[in-house]
Amino acid sequence: MRPIIILTIVGLISASLLAFVDDITREPIAQAKALMERRAIEEVFPFPLDSLRTITAGETSFFEARDTEGKLKGIAVKSSTEKGYSGKIEIILAVEPDHTIIDYKVIYTNETPGLGDKISKPKFREQFKGKTLEGPIWKVHKDGGFVDELTAATISSRAITDAVHRGLEHINQQYPNTAAQ
Amino acid sequence: MNEAINTLTRGFIKENPVTKMLLGLCPVLAVTTTAVNGLGMGLATTFVLIGSNVVISMTSKMIPDTVRIPSFVLIIATFVTIVDMLIKAFSPELNQSLGIFIPLIVVNCMILGRAEAFASRSGVWYSLLDGIGMGIGFTLALLALASIREVLGSGTIFNMPLIGEDGTPLLVFALPPGAFAGLGAIIALMNALEKKRGVN
Amino acid sequence: MAEYLLVIVSAVFVNNVVFARFLGICPYLGVSKKIDTALGMGFAVTFVMTLATAITYVLYYGVLVPFKIEFMQTVMYILVIASLVQLVEIVLKKVSKSLYNALGIYLPLITTNCAILGVALIAIQDKYSLVMSVVFAFFSAIGFVLAIVIFAGIREKLEDADIPGPFKNVPIGLISAAILSLAFMGFSGLVK
Repeated sequence: MRPIIILTIVGLISASLLAFVDDITREPIAQAKALMERRAIEEVFPFPLDSLRTITAGETSFFEARDTEGKLKGIAVKSSTEKGYSGKIEIILAVEPDHTIIDYKVIYTNETPGLGDKISKPKFREQFKGKTLEGPIWKVHKDGGFVDELTAATISSRAITDAVHRGLEHINQQYPNTAAQ
Repeated sequence: MNEAINTLTRGFIKENPVTKMLLGLCPVLAVTTTAVNGLGMGLATTFVLIGSNVVISMTSKMIPDTVRIPSFVLIIATFVTIVDMLIKAFSPELNQSLGIFIPLIVVNCMILGRAEAFASRSGVWYSLLDGIGMGIGFTLALLALASIREVLGSGTIFNMPLIGEDGTPLLVFALPPGAFAGLGAIIALMNALEKKRGVN
Repeated sequence: MAEYLLVIVSAVFVNNVVFARFLGICPYLGVSKKIDTALGMGFAVTFVMTLATAITYVLYYGVLVPFKIEFMQTVMYILVIASLVQLVEIVLKKVSKSLYNALGIYLPLITTNCAILGVALIAIQDKYSLVMSVVFAFFSAIGFVLAIVIFAGIREKLEDADIPGPFKNVPIGLISAAILSLAFMGFSGLVK
């Protein structure tokens, strides 16, 4: 009987200690996550953020950047794809009020360092700038689209194309009117 | 005093947990794509090792033999979870690049190995020294492999570029084959050095 | 169906637990000197990995999530795996003496095989369904078996090779593993 009692005591001490640490780290963990997101949004917009409003529609989060007078200067959206070489890739995509792409930033990836992570490099991002949902074919060159895939990282290139495309679709659904202005 | 120094320093090279005892190789191979990751993983593991060594050396007399291993595993898992939460809170970037290898510290055979072979039958003070020494040895091995792989595979060190924009690094070192071959080479080098020292 | 096929091919070849995910390296280097011991270890791992992933999955979504105690994940998983290994040992001893004799010595080693805990954690992290998790775990284990059996075959040949002193045993094993993992990278285009 004694061994079981001792093991139970060890388990109880462990559980209560972890509950305590969980309690004190919960707030900092949430803050760290929010801060990382905020930093990514600041980086992806080429202008300083005077006011940023977060709107959550379903599973998607949108971020509206406005100037001091409240005029819409840009929209960012969190978009993701499961088609990466090592699973999920998450990006923040920023567009002008008329939905042309400003830039994107990769915020989560497991892609192979040196190969798949080149999707974060300016040279690759450059080709998405100024594109809109309608018009270009949202595929990599190999598949008949406009995106020049990275050497030895076709899968990651496809995945980013997919993530950006999805992001644009989300924005188009959420802000159908601004496109017409 | 000599014994204390020996307990502390033997883990550095002579009984290095990675290159000599071949323990905990999974994280050594997996997270060593960059020096920062290697260092982060080494320090996280060291923290767990020191914590578990100290607690186990204090409690091992109270724990009956039949539930010894489950109790040790529980103690280790508790420290691992604490480290996991602390990294998530204070270094989310590191958390992202180390991924599931943080919870996997719990099955790092080096930690259970030190608990079984040393901490459970030694005093608190020596167990602390052993934890620090072995932890440093583990971190050194990770840092060595990670630096080689980062320099050769990405052309950077601690994220600082060493080659120009147009230079092409030897990508294979950033990929899994580079991890296996790099570690093989390091262990062979340590073997050769040891042999040479033995002869002299 | 296509989705399952994708997970299967990915688990066995593309994201092989040993060569791409670096899980289970200790048993990979430790018990892969002979093909039949490698097979024995492989079967024991397959059994425990599949069962452990199913049980931890149910516990995660049935207990940890509803009670909001996800922070107990690591602690609970490792306890489940350790008890499972013990249970398998006891049952095997009663039911089949010959199977116990064949697998018995590998069972205690499995508790610290990080592939088991790793696969159970990945199943949650990648948000698989229960059926998908079990399929994923089973075929990850098959990938592990494939890796250690191929490697054991190479090692049997290495026994007769004249290897420079410092490279004997583990270093040459790691370098062979490097070449094997390079070969496995050839599968990487299979799944997108």
